[in-house]
Amino acid sequence: MDISSFYGFLGTDTTDFILRMIIMVAKIAVVIVIALLHVAYSTWFERKIIGHMQIRLGPMRVGYHGLLQPFADFVKLFFKEDIIPSSGDRPVFQLAPMIALFATISSLAVIPFFNDFVIAKNMNVGLLYLFAMSSLSAYGIILAGWSSNSKYAFLGGLRSSAQVISYEIALALSLVGIMVLSGSLNLVEIIEAQQKHWYGMYVVVQFPAYILFLICAFAETNRTPFDLPEAESELVAGYFVEYSGMRFSLFFMAEYIAMIIMSCIAVTCFWGGWTLPPVVMKALPFLAVVPGLVWFLLKVYCHLFLFYWVRATVPRFRYDHLMSLGWKVLIPLALANIVITSIVKFLF
Amino acid sequence: MTVKQLIDKVFLTEILKGMALTFKMMLSKPVTIQYPDEKRKIYPGFRGKHAFVRDAKTGRQKCIMCMKCVNICPSQCISLKKGRDENNKPFLERYDIEALRCIYCGYCVEVCPVCALVLTEDFGYCSYTKDAIFFDKDKMLKNWDEFVAKLSGDVYWNKFWRPDGVDIAKMPKSKREQAPVPIRPTAAVPSDTVPEKEPVNPAEKPPEPAANVEEKPEEKKEVV
Amino acid sequence: MLKKKELSINMGPQHPATHGVLRLVLELDGETVVKCTPHVGYLHRGTEKLGENRTYPMALPLTDRLDYVSSMSNNIGYCVAVERLLGIEAPARAKYIRTIMAELTRIANHIVWIATHALDIGAMTVFLYSMRDREWILDLYEMVCGARLTVTYPRIGGVRCDIDQEFMDSCYKFIEDFPKRIEEYETLIDQNRIWLQRTVGVGIISAADAINWGLTGPTLRGSGVAYDVRKAAPYDAYDQIDFEVPVGKNCDVYDRYRCRMDEFRQSISIIKQCLDKMPDGLVLASEAPPYDMPIGKPRVMPGHPMGEILPGELVEEKVPFDELYSATEVPKGELGFYFVNDGTARPYRMRIRAPSFVHASVLPKLCEGSLVADVIANIGTIDIVLGECDR
Repeated sequence: MDISSFYGFLGTDTTDFILRMIIMVAKIAVVIVIALLHVAYSTWFERKIIGHMQIRLGPMRVGYHGLLQPFADFVKLFFKEDIIPSSGDRPVFQLAPMIALFATISSLAVIPFFNDFVIAKNMNVGLLYLFAMSSLSAYGIILAGWSSNSKYAFLGGLRSSAQVISYEIALALSLVGIMVLSGSLNLVEIIEAQQKHWYGMYVVVQFPAYILFLICAFAETNRTPFDLPEAESELVAGYFVEYSGMRFSLFFMAEYIAMIIMSCIAVTCFWGGWTLPPVVMKALPFLAVVPGLVWFLLKVYCHLFLFYWVRATVPRFRYDHLMSLGWKVLIPLALANIVITSIVKFLF
Repeated sequence: MTVKQLIDKVFLTEILKGMALTFKMMLSKPVTIQYPDEKRKIYPGFRGKHAFVRDAKTGRQKCIMCMKCVNICPSQCISLKKGRDENNKPFLERYDIEALRCIYCGYCVEVCPVCALVLTEDFGYCSYTKDAIFFDKDKMLKNWDEFVAKLSGDVYWNKFWRPDGVDIAKMPKSKREQAPVPIRPTAAVPSDTVPEKEPVNPAEKPPEPAANVEEKPEEKKEVV
Repeated sequence: MLKKKELSINMGPQHPATHGVLRLVLELDGETVVKCTPHVGYLHRGTEKLGENRTYPMALPLTDRLDYVSSMSNNIGYCVAVERLLGIEAPARAKYIRTIMAELTRIANHIVWIATHALDIGAMTVFLYSMRDREWILDLYEMVCGARLTVTYPRIGGVRCDIDQEFMDSCYKFIEDFPKRIEEYETLIDQNRIWLQRTVGVGIISAADAINWGLTGPTLRGSGVAYDVRKAAPYDAYDQIDFEVPVGKNCDVYDRYRCRMDEFRQSISIIKQCLDKMPDGLVLASEAPPYDMPIGKPRVMPGHPMGEILPGELVEEKVPFDELYSATEVPKGELGFYFVNDGTARPYRMRIRAPSFVHASVLPKLCEGSLVADVIANIGTIDIVLGECDR
């Protein structure tokens, strides 16, 4: 939300202000509820997808093909004992999962879901805000690792901090090409800028950057093959090894929301958000009746599927390889992409 | 580095191949067996729940108290007590198998000279108490009844009673002559006995302890 | 002043990657392992002592519980040892059946190995694909002997019961289909760059070191030493079968992985040859001891550990008054049984040379100076099972 609109907000009369407030709160509530439902069902989706990729069935017992499994899990986690290590740092231990979750949830504020449905509409530093929030969630992980007073959690926290910091750079750099092309950091404007071209998606011209972004997104969300902070075969569970019950599930939700947000960013910046390419709309005009939200969600689901698909296929990186991949491969490539994009933009 | 290697490296060929495989597998049929609803095939000779073969003639176990199974059991989970009735005839007073200690090697089945013992193909048994998995001689017979009730054929044969490919010359006579055990006494009895006798047979069964033991020493002589 | 101190971590006994109850005390400098101390014994059940209190046939089921992943091989190793002690020769058919079973076990064991090794390194899917195929072998076991894990199928002087046509057919089908399954595992990991980064150049142990540390089996052959008991001192039908012993070159985790993958294919070829050559006849030697083998009196005076020896005419020897070491090639390496006998049907001393125990001792050598993640790769590569290690 930029400053001028904030003052404009105060300038109107009180009823208008309250009305706007109510609409805003309603919007936030809708987005959060839908996001949490997506978290619940993306766990189910993940278990099903990975199950079938591993020629098993996944959850089958609770409801038809395990459809109610997320709720069963929720009930179980909610009623589980909340164990806090006696030698741990109690307030920080309790705070850490909240930081992780709130940092990721607040990222939802700038995601344009469809035709201008954004909580913070005129946020003209949208991408920067997203980077800031995803970095902030690393604090949750680090503090969780530290406050547990457990060596495994501590190592997980250390790994995570190093990983998030180094991949944050590559992640941001891989999106600079998009910023150069669109000339904006506002996500809505990025989508509108894509619509000006016949292809309507920056993935066509920024494919290397897209791949870089995906790799960094995997690392940023601690997913396989970059799930070192929670590498179960090395660190048992990494930073949340001491967490149980609801606090564990906060981390869990944070991870899945982070995944959804990364998918949203990919869709917004590279796949044209809720829009279809103009060339497709021209060829198949009847697609205009489909609401934009459907396209947006479809694209997000494809990205989530990719997250799961990769998880089912590849082994895990080693810590030093991860670092050298980040610093020696991804960051130089992202820089090269920026240079080439700028030159091409300057010339044409 | 050849051109092909370079292409492979840049385009992540091997990872894409792996992803193609997982995608293909996603569309294939899962191998999961949803256990309590569907069950896999159990092969004959599976070493599961212990049972005494119920002898069609006496309606009791065939044990002759030779102590072979007790001595051979590697985990020593079988105990046997030989009692004497008023005629000083030996009878099987106790026969206990502590199934929780059993390692299901099947030695007892193979060593029994009269094929009285069997490890049935019934594997799914469990309970909340230890007592339920402590098999005394009555429970062993009950296990047999429960087991044969589930079988489809008329006779039952356990392959460890007289294993294939082993020289039968060294086996005791009763084992050599052992035929598949009929498991449908109700089906066999009406055909060759008069129906009037039928209600008598079950009535005779309860007062056994003294009655049926009489035959057993004779059997034992055959063995030794 | 700030003091620098290594972080010491207990990896195990409850840890998902230590293959049971292995406990490693790691001293870490950052992510680097400075010192690694394996602790074993959490699964000690006194198998050797139990064996000394049972007659030879009765101790056979104990060997199932050594390496529970490849119980059939342990049984065969024990039976071969006792047969050598008693001077019994198993019939040809029994030998071929045992060879088939040993190789099926080798496949089953390597399947579990690739499953857990890949899972430790993070490739979860390989685990489930390989478990699917292991089920097939367990079904074959069940078909022939009625048990899936603790089989107790071989017996001293042969095997317990004959195989039937159904088993032969299923076995043929298995060896025809299984190579495709190996290719599936290899598609997922063999050339995968992450797998290569995790395994190539990790856990290097030179051939000389490997021999000095007493490594055997594929763990040794990965270092380029072509030592295989099946070739060096053939037992069962191995002297009549044509097979190769795959060896590695670079002495690292990847080469040991390649060795085992090649052993899959060699085992398939061995099974095929055995099925083709399968002779007829009985499966139990006529002089094989019965299950209820009489124990007899010892030829040594009680109270004197192998001290005063009684003359032969006083005591009838049930088993030759002798000692013997007999080795067989189980999937994990050389499984040796050492018996000291006092003339009774029970060993005076039974000692098991378990490959896992020896392999666990080499972990410090492999791990020190490497990263935490390499510890996992190293535990996987030496292929240990703690049931055998702790005995």
